[in-house]
Amino acid sequence: MSGFLESLRCSECVDWGEKRNTIASVAAGVLFFTGWWIIIDAAVKYPEVEDFNHSYHACGVIATLAFLMINAVSNGQVRGDSYSEGCLGQTGARIWLFIGFMMAFGSLIASMWILFGGYVVKEKAVVYPGIAVFFQNAFIFFGGLVFKFGRTEDLWQ
Amino acid sequence: MAGIKALISLSFGGAVGLMFLMLGCALPQYNQYWPLFVLFFYILSPIPYCIARRLVDDTDATSNACKELAIFLTTGIVVSAFGLPIVFARAELIYWGACALVLTGNTVIFATILGFFLVFGSNDDFSWQQW
Repeated sequence: MSGFLESLRCSECVDWGEKRNTIASVAAGVLFFTGWWIIIDAAVKYPEVEDFNHSYHACGVIATLAFLMINAVSNGQVRGDSYSEGCLGQTGARIWLFIGFMMAFGSLIASMWILFGGYVVKEKAVVYPGIAVFFQNAFIFFGGLVFKFGRTEDLWQ
Repeated sequence: MAGIKALISLSFGGAVGLMFLMLGCALPQYNQYWPLFVLFFYILSPIPYCIARRLVDDTDATSNACKELAIFLTTGIVVSAFGLPIVFARAELIYWGACALVLTGNTVIFATILGFFLVFGSNDDFSWQQW
């Protein structure tokens, strides 16, 4: 066991600047999937339609679609300085990103609307599904933002 | 080879983690085998990163979108392995004590898998013959 701990002495061999992309990916993954597990939990606890209208799931689905759209294009493609143009070109990439962000903001606003219009105003006895929808969409939205802007595309630093 | 000692420690960690999982299922006061579904997540968790390492092996670039996607998916699998026992306990399929045991087992197993990648993963001359 004498040589075992020497290979663990690693605190000075980790360059945290280099790990920024990894940390951003991990944080985005935690946020995104925690959002989905919150709604799974709400759907399991409240299966009746009066407590949790099943159409409210559409909000999270659109938010996930927006996440995929936003992260499908790289910042370099939008700025126009990437090596390959992609199949849409620079203008197409900008429109794609625009629609993606619109869907992301729209689903976030819709989740707040669901919480307040569907649960708070109607003074329902069970409010947890509304809160769960809101937190699901908030987490997916922020997960998307962290994944998009938390990573750097500078290959040489 | 990074060492037999590391390999033995990692296998001990894996055994302890699986022991916690089985305790959470098989203790007579719990006696519910639903938590065994997390085994699915244990097996799935190394796959995205291994696929990304095989597909893109440019060691020059420090940023690599494929590896980052793999890390994102791996994090999702780990979060799901923690979320599933909690949802089971909230749905009262299993007791909270069993849930706590399964979560402990999860932590140990994922620490073992991470340790496996840290100790045996960073090969400078990553050649195809190793697989």
